[in-house]
Amino acid sequence: MSAEMLFALSTLAGWAAWFFVVMAVLAGLRLAANAPGIDRDSAKRSLVVCSVGALLGFLVCFFTPADLGRQIEGEGVRIPAVWFYMHFWGWAALSGAVMGLTSLIQGYLAVSQEERTNKLKWMGGWLIFAGASFWLFKWIAPQVTIFRGAFFLSPATIGIAALLLFGSLAFLAFSTRRATTRSAGKTMWTHLALLAGCAIFGLPFAWLLSSSFKEDRDLTGGVMWIPKVTETTAYFDPNKPQFSGQAYGMEVTAEPTKDLGNGKFQFDIVAPFNMRGRTFEAAKSELKVVPKQVPIVNGDWDGTKFRGRVIEELGNGDRRIEAMEPANLAGQVRDFKRDQAPDSRPDGLRWKNYPEALQYLPPETNFGLVYLKNTLILVVLSVIGTILSCAIVAYAFSRMRFPGREFLFKVLLATMMLPGAVTLMPQFLIFKNLGWIDTLQPLWVPAFFAGAFNVFMLRQFFNQIPMELEDAAKIDGCSFLRSFWTVMLPQVKPALAVIAIWTFMGTWNNFMGPLIYINSPENMPIAYALQLFSGERSGEPGLLMAFATMTMLPVLALFFFAQKYFIEGVTLSGLGGR
Amino acid sequence: MPRWALTWLLTVALLMAALVGRAAPSEVIFWGQSFGPDSKGFEATIREFERRWPQYKVRVLSMGAGRMNPQKLMTAIVGKVPPDVIFQDRFTLSDWANRGAFMPLDDLIARDIGSDPFTPDLSKYVPATVDEATFNGKLYGIPFGCDTRVLYWNRRVFKQEAAALRKAGLDPDRAPRTWSEVLAYSKALTKFDKNGRLIRAGFLPNYGNSWLYLFAFQNNAQFMSPDGRTCTLASPEAIEALEYMVKGYDIVGGYENAQKFQAGFRGNEFDPFYTDQVLMKVDGDWILPGFLKFVPGMDFGVTEPPVPDDRYYQRGKFANEKDRYITWAGGFSWAIPDGARNKDGAWQLVKWLQSTEARVLENVAQAEWEKRRGREFVPRIIANMPANEESFRLLAPKDENVAAALRLHIDVSKVARIRPATFVGQVLWNEHVRAVDQAGIKVLSPKAALLEGQKRVQKDLDAEFEKEKFPVVDMRLPGYLGAGAALLALAGGIFAFSRRKMGRLERNEALWGYAFISPWLIGFLVFTIGPMVASLFFSFTQYNVLTDARWVGIKNYSDMFAIDQERLFKSFSNILYLGGIGVPLGLITGLGVAMLLNTGVKGMRVYRTVYYLPAIVPAMASTILWIYILSPDPSRGIVNGLWLQTLTPAFGVQPPGWTSVESWAKPALIFMGLWGAGSGMLLWLAALKGISPTLYEAASIDGASPRQQFMNITLPMLSPVILFSTIMGFIGAMNEFDRVYVISAGEGYGPNDTMLVPVYYLFQNAFSFFKMGYASALAWVIFIIILIVTLFQLWLGKRMVYSEVER
Repeated sequence: MSAEMLFALSTLAGWAAWFFVVMAVLAGLRLAANAPGIDRDSAKRSLVVCSVGALLGFLVCFFTPADLGRQIEGEGVRIPAVWFYMHFWGWAALSGAVMGLTSLIQGYLAVSQEERTNKLKWMGGWLIFAGASFWLFKWIAPQVTIFRGAFFLSPATIGIAALLLFGSLAFLAFSTRRATTRSAGKTMWTHLALLAGCAIFGLPFAWLLSSSFKEDRDLTGGVMWIPKVTETTAYFDPNKPQFSGQAYGMEVTAEPTKDLGNGKFQFDIVAPFNMRGRTFEAAKSELKVVPKQVPIVNGDWDGTKFRGRVIEELGNGDRRIEAMEPANLAGQVRDFKRDQAPDSRPDGLRWKNYPEALQYLPPETNFGLVYLKNTLILVVLSVIGTILSCAIVAYAFSRMRFPGREFLFKVLLATMMLPGAVTLMPQFLIFKNLGWIDTLQPLWVPAFFAGAFNVFMLRQFFNQIPMELEDAAKIDGCSFLRSFWTVMLPQVKPALAVIAIWTFMGTWNNFMGPLIYINSPENMPIAYALQLFSGERSGEPGLLMAFATMTMLPVLALFFFAQKYFIEGVTLSGLGGR
Repeated sequence: MPRWALTWLLTVALLMAALVGRAAPSEVIFWGQSFGPDSKGFEATIREFERRWPQYKVRVLSMGAGRMNPQKLMTAIVGKVPPDVIFQDRFTLSDWANRGAFMPLDDLIARDIGSDPFTPDLSKYVPATVDEATFNGKLYGIPFGCDTRVLYWNRRVFKQEAAALRKAGLDPDRAPRTWSEVLAYSKALTKFDKNGRLIRAGFLPNYGNSWLYLFAFQNNAQFMSPDGRTCTLASPEAIEALEYMVKGYDIVGGYENAQKFQAGFRGNEFDPFYTDQVLMKVDGDWILPGFLKFVPGMDFGVTEPPVPDDRYYQRGKFANEKDRYITWAGGFSWAIPDGARNKDGAWQLVKWLQSTEARVLENVAQAEWEKRRGREFVPRIIANMPANEESFRLLAPKDENVAAALRLHIDVSKVARIRPATFVGQVLWNEHVRAVDQAGIKVLSPKAALLEGQKRVQKDLDAEFEKEKFPVVDMRLPGYLGAGAALLALAGGIFAFSRRKMGRLERNEALWGYAFISPWLIGFLVFTIGPMVASLFFSFTQYNVLTDARWVGIKNYSDMFAIDQERLFKSFSNILYLGGIGVPLGLITGLGVAMLLNTGVKGMRVYRTVYYLPAIVPAMASTILWIYILSPDPSRGIVNGLWLQTLTPAFGVQPPGWTSVESWAKPALIFMGLWGAGSGMLLWLAALKGISPTLYEAASIDGASPRQQFMNITLPMLSPVILFSTIMGFIGAMNEFDRVYVISAGEGYGPNDTMLVPVYYLFQNAFSFFKMGYASALAWVIFIIILIVTLFQLWLGKRMVYSEVER
């Protein structure tokens, strides 16, 4: 046996021993609790078995080399760890063998002859599976790599882990007074598992939110959860004053760059970002002087800790700093190297990412409002179109008699399977011939022509409405249109809500449609704009995350208001589609 | 009608009205550059244009400037809403010209040459750039840039490592001059850390901007035969060049290792060349401003790009060569799409932009702006030679390294070669990129990789040259036929209906019924069955929308299964992987969560919300989020960041490269998909609640263990949902597009085609290359495969799914 393998076995034995210790403590607690409903015999038995297991594990661990791992430096208690890296079929063979072994033991312990044969059959099956997998494993990729290493846990971490462990054990012991250990334990494990799952599912969200409030430098400097933000202060720069005023039809901040002689100056726009670099001409009197926002720094002034503000970034990487605190230094100016006077960056959220992300959008999109407008047009028209057309078609298929109804309905069902890809190109040509390229029409007009799946689902709903209702209306002399509109439609409102939500989601998410049909920014919907933004602004991940958050906010808001319909919708789509 | 309905209708009418309205005619729409701090000079030229020609107003749109993704321009031209001027990579001009998508400019030049001083004088341009913009004897664009490539080397590190270099028998005071010297220098300078991770690369063959083109040109390779009818991508010279690149990658631990290393590169002041991560690279003159901006005074050197040894020593097949060095030049051009709505304005704008006056104005304005920001400006080398001279006279850089580099860039333009002006330029480019990738990761030998690419380019060439063989077919034919068939069916229907014996009421009801289903019926005819028939028809043609369609019979299908067989196979095997592993994993995850929730724990609603929330996040947003989460660079991606903090120190295992390496790209997609398993979870939950508790009671009375209960009650009762979810999951996997498009940025198919999925491939063929016929054939193949898979699943379902209703 190789030294590596020995190390692996010893490590595993050590871990198993610890596991048995916990199990033994648990069994002891069960015995101690002495509540009705506890099987004392089984508790005693597991106490004995676990104790023996723990002892054995520790023995193996003790007599085999447990420190063959790579030399790893670290602080705290060294917990050796191993991991086997092998092909999928290797794992299959291993689990097959373990399952076979389990069946064998179960067969040995079985009460009846019947159960024994049954278990032995299972064992045979598992072993055949294990053998076949092993052969495949040998054939495809027979290497096994053992990763050896160790985790280092600081005493504090171990303390917390122990506290948690004994806390949960105490909780178990406490709950045994009221219920059986088994169900209390089960509930706790369920919650633990669910919470762990929540952490995994929620992690990307948390990261998205946290990132959308970070400065860009923190997004490329390793993992950081709590955003930091640079403190700034207002500063009227006497050398390079900033002005604000109207230009290109919007409020801009600008710096004068050239004296044009006739009392006018040429101004360079510095904000908003999408206008950055553009120039305009104006007299200084037409504009208002505004302060700059300059970073606050902390540093060391001849041995005195001080706070100051950067009044000029010098070209060579140095910065000119005016001290603000303490009082005896205030107002003095001196040049510092950048690392001697780092920015003051307390924990905080950089809200500015959100407005800045919008400011980066092309000017003609009016800070993204045009995208929102386009998306809303699409959503509103699609939802109206889908609901009206699907409802009326479904109603006809459900309640009206006309020759060919069954046949047409079958055709409708058949089209549900059709992938969109087949009709993609001819549809493009149709819309091209209509002159609808670079307009929103190709994206919403088809919604007015009843999608098969929605019709199918609504028809099921109409079918469930009692006939009497409509008959009564008919006797009163209602036309079909009227009885559809006033009697039947209100009956299927929940289903309509579900369809509306699907359509909303589908339209909001639609990416391929705009990608094909839309060219100019003023016709783009949000999903496509986001993709373009991510291509162009990948250098400013903070802004990108802020923009991504903004694009999903309306959807999330809708979800929280109409959660019931979302959940109903999923259920309907699955169970209705049987 | 209720009032709210009226309000709705009014809103609709208003919104429709808002949709009408178009650009004013005097507007000139310019694609490919945008205004910003780094294009102040460009803005100045545009403003000056508007001042001198006040009848025009220019609208500048970036539209993913500089990218090699032609899809947007193509749809715009086909849809008759093209820009008026496009700033386009020159080597693709022939491609567009061949389709008749761009306007030839010769006549306009001839018309204006005496009368307008701004008319381009092509004799003053770098000849190679004019050749590149010429196709079939006509000029399709006015050249702008002329970006030659040279070798940049980090003199500072060469000095530091002088001992090591001397030990390897190399001179630390100069850069390598030949291929074998490059490899020797790279070997001596490349460094790995103790875990075997690359931390400093001497030379990454394809980092910077060299591609196979440069090395192949140096080896005298031609990519096309002189008559333009045969592709010679896999010539022995090109194969040698690619072998050299692969050797270069071997030194740094292989191509994949290099990709992973590169995925961690950052921009601006952390550029890998400044931070000593890459010591030698071939690049163009556009990187020069960066030196002044981020690392003023950096000690770097430039030299002609190293050439094959035989060429340098002028022996062997190069014995009679006059040029010792060879470089490659590319650059952009201004072109006017055919069908531009404001041709006069466009031509006026192009004439102005190319003029020496405008070129100098642009440089001077940008220089002034940079000066105000406290930076120095470096003019770009352009094709207009007098403008170059004038700009350098006014704005020669002070930094001597940068000045030397600029000088060298100008000097080597004499030995610059260009990509062949062929209408398959884009395909040739894509295939060559792919060949480098495939040879790099060693799934194919350089020769086999290039041969495969050559085969595919040749297919397109043949299709074009042989198209005369095939008869022209009127594409309105399916339209007429379809309309005719629809009318016939309608007439037949009306006839059958009128012959039918019905009561008055009955007839009335039937008529209303037809009226009610008419939205679906019309939609079905116009948007479903019509397009399906049309698409079947297209699949037998060769059609690029702009020129006549040709009837080619089953050629599209036979090509697909002959030349494109591997790619087709790969795309479906990718789907099989994504669907075969991703769908069951998603089902199991959903079921697991649902079973935990179904135990009646407290706070079920809260948990349910948390698990379901990711499923409703818009796909685009979640993909972009995941690209960041799974970024291979540990300083960016949180997963690799955490991995590096925990697993790497414990086990010494490097974090995976996720979407940038072949083996992890598809698992990354699957992880992303699992995040959205919440909707499946809801479905399971509903189904679990639907199982009658009496079944479980009966089972536990009989002494069934929880496992037995699960196997014998839960699973069978859930089987309809399993069937439904599997089918929907597979159909969803088949239609995979958005994520792949975003991750690969619409270019290429990921490392070794791992992101090649059928719908994306179809999209590229249809809307990037406008091979409508071929794409339609693909669509039908996809359709048939989906149909077979679904029917198979249904058949399987019939045997395995429990149903309350006896069949």
